[in-house]
Amino acid sequence: MSIDTTPVLLEVAGLKKYFPVKHGTFGRHHHQLKAVDGVSFGIRSGETFGLVGESGCGKSTCARTIIRLYRPTAGRIIFEGQDIAPLNSSELMPVRRKIQMIFQDPFASLNARMTVQDIISEPLDIHNIGTPAERRDRVDGLLRRVGLDAAHAGRYPHEFSGGQRQRIGIARAIAINPSLIICDEPISALDVSIQAQVVNMLEDLQADLGLTYLFIAHDLSMVKHISDKMGVMYLGRMVEMADSREIYANPLHPYTQMLLSAIPIPDPKKARARTPVPMDREIPSPLDLPMGCRFVDRCRQSLAICREIEPGLCDTGAGHWAACHLYR
Amino acid sequence: MNADRHHIVDSAEHIAPGLWEELAPAATEKERIAGEGFSYGQDVWRRFTRNKMALMGLWIIILLVLSAVFVPFFWTHNYHYQELTYANVPPLLPLYDLGNDQFVFLNKNFKLYQVARSGKLLGLIKPKQRLVAEKQILYELNGRKYRMDYTQLPVRLLDENANEITTGSRVWNKTYFLGTDALGRDLFIRQIYGARISLLVALIATVVNFVIGVLYGGISGYLGGTVDNVMMRIVEIINTIPLTLYVILIMVLLESGFTSIVLAIGTVFWVDMARIVRGQILTLKEQEFVYAAKTMGAGTRRILFRHLLPNTMGPIIVTLAMLIPGAIFIEAFMSFIGLGVAPPMASWGTLCSDALGTFRSFPYQLFIPALAISITMFAFNFLVDGLRDALDPRLRK
Repeated sequence: MSIDTTPVLLEVAGLKKYFPVKHGTFGRHHHQLKAVDGVSFGIRSGETFGLVGESGCGKSTCARTIIRLYRPTAGRIIFEGQDIAPLNSSELMPVRRKIQMIFQDPFASLNARMTVQDIISEPLDIHNIGTPAERRDRVDGLLRRVGLDAAHAGRYPHEFSGGQRQRIGIARAIAINPSLIICDEPISALDVSIQAQVVNMLEDLQADLGLTYLFIAHDLSMVKHISDKMGVMYLGRMVEMADSREIYANPLHPYTQMLLSAIPIPDPKKARARTPVPMDREIPSPLDLPMGCRFVDRCRQSLAICREIEPGLCDTGAGHWAACHLYR
Repeated sequence: MNADRHHIVDSAEHIAPGLWEELAPAATEKERIAGEGFSYGQDVWRRFTRNKMALMGLWIIILLVLSAVFVPFFWTHNYHYQELTYANVPPLLPLYDLGNDQFVFLNKNFKLYQVARSGKLLGLIKPKQRLVAEKQILYELNGRKYRMDYTQLPVRLLDENANEITTGSRVWNKTYFLGTDALGRDLFIRQIYGARISLLVALIATVVNFVIGVLYGGISGYLGGTVDNVMMRIVEIINTIPLTLYVILIMVLLESGFTSIVLAIGTVFWVDMARIVRGQILTLKEQEFVYAAKTMGAGTRRILFRHLLPNTMGPIIVTLAMLIPGAIFIEAFMSFIGLGVAPPMASWGTLCSDALGTFRSFPYQLFIPALAISITMFAFNFLVDGLRDALDPRLRK
């Protein structure tokens, strides 16, 4: 495939992000919440990498660590050949021009006290791009690009609907021509009818501007639709990673199988024909992980070894990676 | 809902690309916003002006500020000149009509004044003879004799035949609009100077709260962690010592009561504001728009001043408007107990405390400054209520 020859834009290797949790009198007892615990993957230029998992599995923390809102505990984040994990805030400035983020909640991600004009031109302002007149033109162009009326630039966010706000957030993200955009559940807070519009627009922008996406969602069908490759996270770990269609057609890890079987099917006949993978237990606390494989307590196919050794991600063939003792 | 979308996406892939027809963007993508565009400020003003009481409070405060600033420039009396002949003259004069366009006013301190019909004070009438044993004072006016009888109070005026003369109409004192105090000083201009003091204290409290309180709370909340911990412990220490004690301690060094009050308010009055701003910042800094600013590369100063503090403006203004009457009251109280401004300067607190001794005879001397304090407090409180309602976006209609 030709796509394999394109350069890797972002490579994440062994990324860890632990949060200290204090409790007891004066916070003497320290625990660590392992939100992201050794995640590795790579995204080629122009590709979309989908990251899925249930709530609290560390997807968003992973995204925020990659964009360096958090300082990683360990691991490397290699962006355009440069490890950005150890950089300080002033060294990060050139990188900030190239990685942008689209947020989940369109109501919280825009400053209510700023006009749309100010919101979209803020990245231009921070990076000293253009004169005020040029910035106004750029904002007009961006608003039209995301399907909004340029005449609305002087309005405040509360005057827009959720979908329109998300478009404003997208316009802000593409304002400084980034190469990588991290989409942190950009459609989860939207109406189903709006979701399709926003996803289509993201795809158009990718084609026109040559963007690379890291797309986070908990909606498998949407991720399958938009991504080239896809990774499944469970409690801070990547459990399976492959081409989107491959994962959908041939899920290997028991957790992925369970996730896919949980997607509702609109056809009752098909739905009855399917044998769902039952779910026995609740997700364990990330502060108190089981020995061995993190999924062992919920897994129907667990082996004796699963309780002793945590499986690593290994290639089962044709670029399909899984972290499970069943496929060693 | 998941299922529907799954279905749509699946079937959309099965339609041949040639069957799709692209529409012009104007028709499909542009979304219109109905309704007139209001900026946040316009919206707040619209809701504020609907609240009549708040608007009244605002007007009272504007009037107070204007008169405190401008009245002393053109008022005929000044605040420290003592006219002892006109001591304790009330604002409302019950006149004795003696005929021939002669009017006199008998004050409760046994002084008889000649007054014009309009209420202008013409002068003190000298007694002809004092009959101390009979508790009477004799006067002679235009050849006729009058006697002031104080065997029983209130004091009475009798004519030649010892018949009591009754008072006629009451007129407003035209010489001293609000009367005079025990030293014959004009009470109106002293009220105005009192307002100057109170508003100065309010201004200092505002500036201190804005500069120190907002910044301190903002930095403490935004930086968080150990910095926040240390800064908040300092606030707690400051907060445990009563303000009165600060004023007394500072007075030992400075010998000036008013400077001490200003200094005490300036150094410790921002702690409530700091706490409220910190609390607001703590919740706001985890919002996605702050993360968005960080991913753009915005620095601490930009995030604090462009993103966090503007979003805290509602609570800041409300807290401010609540703290101002507090500051005014603290000054009035300190002056009342004798820790405030030094004589002859007047503040509402000293006016009240001066009036207390002669309260039974000259109640207007206490009522006027007390009324001034009350009206000012009410005005600020109504203003706060109106601002809180206007600034709260949850009440947006």
